[in-house]
Amino acid sequence: MTMTGRATIALVLAAGLAAIPATMLAQGRGQAAPPAPAEPLSALAPENLSKPRPKAPFDLTGNWFVDTSPGPDAWRFGPPYPKLTPKAQKEFDTGMKLLKEGKVYKDDIGQCWPAGLPLIMTRYWPTAMIQLPTAIYMISEFMNSMRVVYLDGRQHTDPDIVVRTFNGESVGRWEGDTLVVDTRHFRGDHHWMDQGGASIPAGEQLRIVERIRLLPGGKQLEIAYTMTDPENWEGEWKSTKRFNRVNDIDIHEVECLPDLNDHLKSTRSKTQVQ
Amino acid sequence: MKKLIITSALVLSVVAPAFAHHSPAAFEPQKTITLTGTVKEFRWQNPHSWIEVMVPNDKGQEVLWAFELTSPTYLVRAGWKSNTLKPGDKVTISGRPLKSGEPGSAIFTSVMLADGRTLGERPARLGGPAEK
Repeated sequence: MTMTGRATIALVLAAGLAAIPATMLAQGRGQAAPPAPAEPLSALAPENLSKPRPKAPFDLTGNWFVDTSPGPDAWRFGPPYPKLTPKAQKEFDTGMKLLKEGKVYKDDIGQCWPAGLPLIMTRYWPTAMIQLPTAIYMISEFMNSMRVVYLDGRQHTDPDIVVRTFNGESVGRWEGDTLVVDTRHFRGDHHWMDQGGASIPAGEQLRIVERIRLLPGGKQLEIAYTMTDPENWEGEWKSTKRFNRVNDIDIHEVECLPDLNDHLKSTRSKTQVQ
Repeated sequence: MKKLIITSALVLSVVAPAFAHHSPAAFEPQKTITLTGTVKEFRWQNPHSWIEVMVPNDKGQEVLWAFELTSPTYLVRAGWKSNTLKPGDKVTISGRPLKSGEPGSAIFTSVMLADGRTLGERPARLGGPAEK
């Protein structure tokens, strides 16, 4: 074969190989490459924001502060508490025993870990909410903790690729005049359902369904929580909270800085049990 | 120090939790102590401010007490400014001490300044004690 002939064959083979999809080549090696998932539109993408949708029944845009009129423990989600699993009961009992001794058990928030849901919403700090057609952005002033409730019809992220967080991943949908928000994919360490009292852990199986209503007049919103976590308690843990619209404050930068606890002797005292 | 606490004015009052970033559970929920001393440092910052006060004990020794306040967001609404206190100011300050009796830490409830003004922490609508 002449040089010209060999070059022609090489060119034809190269062109043929280039025409074979990469997936076929991978299959040929016994490794089926999964198709790349379609990239969803960002909640802030103009094409997503401008999609035709029914008008939202209400707009939560504003600053909200938990209603403390029921009493100083209005921020807590119990008592009553659900029946705990043996693992969670052990933590609860340890916390209660130390509480009677004037001590605090595993106060991770006090050591600057994020509060996470559900406490971040009720912890005596305002939450700024900005509602768009595709999502509600919620920023608690406390440590500027961010939460996004997606309203654009997306599903929860595949558990195999999701990055677990203390506020979880929230997906909402409208049911009549109620916004139903389903939150999953929580981090299951250093995450608690109470702070310094009922030491009930929040695990990776925690799921929180919130039924959110704006009450007549628009000055109060109500959230009915249904929380499940088979690792830590049996059945559904239910609680309802109200939040007042606060029109004369804005949220600010709030950080748990490394030197914060140096000047707060209680956080370094013998009262803290890890 | 224990004697100082016992001889301090004990006042019972129902207060809402002055929420720091840490748990309030180690502190007395209702009982307050009142101490008179000299301001060492007043820090105006988030997530909450603090006042360090040197308080003489019954042996004449100066003891450091740290009173933990809420965020300036609420303090402003209770009449505070960043320069309300400065080192060397004489104050009579009240707070909820640790249940354990360990001295030096208290959740702030109120302070009487040298000019006679008394300042609390936050209005009732933002989690402060109910107005009477």
